[in-house]
Amino acid sequence: MKEQSVCVALFIWLFWGCQSDSYTPPPPVTSQMLAASIRKESHANIAMLREGRTLFVHRCIECHTLPAVWHYRTDEWPGIVSSMSHRASLKPAEREAIVAYILAVRFQR
Amino acid sequence: MKLALRIVIFAFVILPSLSAFGGARHFGFIYEAPTSAPGSFELENWVTWARTTNPEHSDQIAFRHEIEIGVTDRLQASVYLADWSYENGPAHSGSTYSDSAVELIYNLTNPVIDPIGLSLYQEYKVGDRLFEWESKLIAQKNLGPLILAYNATLEAVWEGQGLAEREGEFQQALGASYEISPRISVGLEFLHEFVLPDWHDAERIRNVFIGPNVSYRHQSWFVTVTALAQPTNTPDEPDFQLRTIFGFGF
Repeated sequence: MKEQSVCVALFIWLFWGCQSDSYTPPPPVTSQMLAASIRKESHANIAMLREGRTLFVHRCIECHTLPAVWHYRTDEWPGIVSSMSHRASLKPAEREAIVAYILAVRFQR
Repeated sequence: MKLALRIVIFAFVILPSLSAFGGARHFGFIYEAPTSAPGSFELENWVTWARTTNPEHSDQIAFRHEIEIGVTDRLQASVYLADWSYENGPAHSGSTYSDSAVELIYNLTNPVIDPIGLSLYQEYKVGDRLFEWESKLIAQKNLGPLILAYNATLEAVWEGQGLAEREGEFQQALGASYEISPRISVGLEFLHEFVLPDWHDAERIRNVFIGPNVSYRHQSWFVTVTALAQPTNTPDEPDFQLRTIFGFGF
């Protein structure tokens, strides 16, 4: 059918168009990431960073797509996560874990 | 106490004392793979206006009042308190209660970090001389600000006197939604239906619907609107549908 062909072509175009823009997903937690975080006087540990990544990729996408960790400044992230914590049903420790993960990714680069 | 009054008290007195928002929808006719956060509650109201002109002109406005509950990190449950409609057509005019339902969605993989996000959906619907069973595979991929979603749905309906009449449907749905800001998304939805009267495909009834969507999120509420047109001109199927979903959390 003509309509279906047009739609399938449109979706393929959108899919490949976005792939070429290299939207990389949030990276897994590594020991280098933890070391970079500790150098910046963070109290994070590997379990906290892993939980932060899991929460970041699961809870935030319930309402919106995931922003790149570079999209906001380091000092903006705690306020942004805090402002949405009620909507995402985040407990204080979960909020801290998300922020710790985002900052650890940034510190590593 | 009347059932309707109990429902109103539950929705507006008990629920506000509970927890938070369940999540926002980007699509009107397509389900997304992520499930609600555990402990979250959300009330959703759906309004769908459908205009049919083949073979006769009729307008129907269908309403759904749904409570969505995050059970665990991966499991979400919903209760359709009531599906009812108002119709203005040659055969019938007035409002009719249709059914109530229970829906479960179990998330398997994540659309951001896994190659594809998958969820399984199961719904049981009971009404006046009606029983319906619906299963769905939900697939989704998030690519930066773009969400691509696909649903494959199999539906079986028993209705009428003694639930003797049977009908089935297989539906494929594709959707794309682009987030132009954290609050606003716009996109497209495409549905392809295979209608199976008496669970047979002898009549080869096929419907296609296509149209745009827009979604707006703010604090603890969202609204999503999708307009679909039918290019296939199948009898008894709407030429045009407009669905609005308004959700708010507590």
